[in-house]
Amino acid sequence: MEFTALFLAVTVVLLAAWLGARTLALALFAVTLVACVATYLHHASDVLKLSF
Amino acid sequence: MTRSLAVALNALGLYAIALVLAAAFAAQLLLGELPCPLCLLQRIQFALLAIGPILNVRFGPRPSHYAASLLVAAAGAAFAMRQILLHIMPGDPGYGSALLGYHYYTWAFFGFAVAIVATAVMLLFDRQFEDDGGTPPDMAGAFARTAVWLVIGLTAANVISTLLECGLAACPADPVAYELLKGMR
Repeated sequence: MEFTALFLAVTVVLLAAWLGARTLALALFAVTLVACVATYLHHASDVLKLSF
Repeated sequence: MTRSLAVALNALGLYAIALVLAAAFAAQLLLGELPCPLCLLQRIQFALLAIGPILNVRFGPRPSHYAASLLVAAAGAAFAMRQILLHIMPGDPGYGSALLGYHYYTWAFFGFAVAIVATAVMLLFDRQFEDDGGTPPDMAGAFARTAVWLVIGLTAANVISTLLECGLAACPADPVAYELLKGMR
């Protein structure tokens, strides 16, 4: 679900960059990039099931 | 490098991003390889990479636009490297199939590395940032406009495919079927 939301956010960012104000696009971009890194860190903290 | 040449090269960059997103879709739809969560995150970074070129096409080249893409490429490279390291142990078959000997996440790392180098090279040319004093010309010709809408369309298509794959719950670590379609059967 979070990845669907991130793809949706990126779509909105790209549409804002093409159709909207530059400041708005950059602000939305910053929020989306932080959300991506937060999602990565959340998944990176999962326990790894290693088989060796 | 003139502003118009820089804009044309940015449009070419958008076509390159569209090619990567289309290739990922081809692997998913034709080969039936569903992307894992970390793979999706790398695909998201490829789509977000388009922010710099789109802003450069629309508002003219600025260092801050290139910087935005550099930040995304650095994050994408880190995500891809994480996945490479997860499968670094000898005997680990890796995730998914390999293309020309490398898994998709290794290719993704190469792609982000190329994006970092290409963006840095573009930043070397100062003349593209010089204001000619007039109002910004409408630099987006049909070539650039098509590239922009191609990337936006492919990103929007990923919203639908990810919704089908993951459904309304957390995405499975090793997806084998479209969760939303399973629920409809």
